[in-house]
Amino acid sequence: MRDTFGSYHPSLNFLYFLAVIGFGMFLMHPIFLSISLVGSLSYAIYLEGTKAIGKQLLYSIPLCILVGVINPLFNHEGITILTYIGDNPLTLESIYYGIAMAVLFMNIILWFKCYSYVMTSDKLIYLLGRKLPTLALIFSMTLRFVPLFKKQFKKVMRAQEGIGNSSRKKNILARIKWAMKVLSIMVTWILENAIDTADSMNSRGYGLKGRSSFSLYFFQRRDAKLLIGLVLLVGSVLTGVLNGQTYMRYFPSVKLQPTTVQSIAVYIAYGVLCILPLGLQMVEDIKWHYLK
Amino acid sequence: MSDSLKRRKYRRIGLSVILMGGLVPFATLWHFLYQGERSFYISSLIMMMYTIVVFLSAFERRKPQAREVVVVSVLVALAVTGRMAFFMIPQFKPVAAIVILSGVCLGGEIGFVVGAMTGFVSNFFFGQGPWTPWQMLAFGVIGFLAGVLTEKGILKKKKLNLCIFGGLTTFFVYGGIMNPCSVIMFTSKPTLQSFIAAYISGFWFDMMHSMASVIFLWMLTIPMLQKLERIKKKYGLLNEVFKDELLWEEGGHI
Repeated sequence: MRDTFGSYHPSLNFLYFLAVIGFGMFLMHPIFLSISLVGSLSYAIYLEGTKAIGKQLLYSIPLCILVGVINPLFNHEGITILTYIGDNPLTLESIYYGIAMAVLFMNIILWFKCYSYVMTSDKLIYLLGRKLPTLALIFSMTLRFVPLFKKQFKKVMRAQEGIGNSSRKKNILARIKWAMKVLSIMVTWILENAIDTADSMNSRGYGLKGRSSFSLYFFQRRDAKLLIGLVLLVGSVLTGVLNGQTYMRYFPSVKLQPTTVQSIAVYIAYGVLCILPLGLQMVEDIKWHYLK
Repeated sequence: MSDSLKRRKYRRIGLSVILMGGLVPFATLWHFLYQGERSFYISSLIMMMYTIVVFLSAFERRKPQAREVVVVSVLVALAVTGRMAFFMIPQFKPVAAIVILSGVCLGGEIGFVVGAMTGFVSNFFFGQGPWTPWQMLAFGVIGFLAGVLTEKGILKKKKLNLCIFGGLTTFFVYGGIMNPCSVIMFTSKPTLQSFIAAYISGFWFDMMHSMASVIFLWMLTIPMLQKLERIKKKYGLLNEVFKDELLWEEGGHI
């Protein structure tokens, strides 16, 4: 799927997800929860397709139910007592809170899904690389080593089979022993290979002063525009948070903030923030349609 | 130890005092003053993040040699691949075993880095989420403990000792950190009962995980230690003189 938002500067992508996941984790107000759910669900479906997200939802719904049930079972605050389980009261407020938590949990999972789609490892390495070059290097090398090890494992396995040491027709214990042998051969190779890699890096001047790294990300004018927009949106939502517009009291009794002009403004700001990637995509699609 | 080395050491100690004396009370105070619904989560997140940041930035700042960097990423990749190879069996993962062996062989600092990076990178394959920092911390602490206890001579580099150590740390440290994680993340006011319930419901998962660590350590300790020691001897990786030189010459401050 073509993703316009993902083609913006990586720092903006990261900033955006920091904001939506950060707000998503702490805003328990039902309106904010639903806005976030609409945003995350639609963006995730746009990126990954209905099928993949449907599967994801299927997996996470039991967890959400668990989260929703745990709260009323262990939280006995609240004034509206529905019934008693043993000696402990089951309150309406804690059920509401459980539902809110379940939705929140869902939002976070969906936002992280979008995050892993948009924030690819090269973007993360680019962002980390300036502040934490060594860790970024470890990160990128690890991502490369994982498929390399799989490949090497297969090679060693085939070589063992080739010399007549096959894992077939063996009982479980012998198979484990065989797998350990392959692993052992592989680890020896890996460590030697690692030293070779390191020597090669040293001979190319790793760690010398004044070396820079290459990347193809530029901060363009549209990135600046988006940055201003993001700062404004996050700023207005944050003012709402500080003014208590996003606060929802669950205990001892459920109390919503009265809806005022200011709170509606905060809802709109949050809505725009959550739907932003899809909005950008739509603008882009319309542009392309007329340019065709 | 020359003057500048002393100064660096003091600066390091000073910084940890500030962090320990400043940030932890701040996080706790935040919890009591703010008294909001999610304050447990916020304060635990603050403490966790800065523990991870301190360890990782200490590693970063001393500018490790290329050989060290590559060996660390090899170990992380091994742990990640191991976790992927056994993904069908819940909680049966060799990550803790490999992290412990790295800590034992290469010291506490590298043990923490291998553990934390494994938690971080493996979640790129298994799904990132709010649980990532908890896993990073849990695996990191296991590696750090293994390294420090070996350096102090308390933990012997023997198969049986490492198996016992691995089983206990996986059960108590990893389970101890990961079980309350869901309670803190997803309940309004964590109570003693909910923590107890989380520990009880997690018991068999932790049992499985610690069994996996024991089994993997039983099988991997001797070959892995031999190989790592061989690499260390053959290429002079991280021998004592070299290590001290790295620590003090290349800026061993946080």
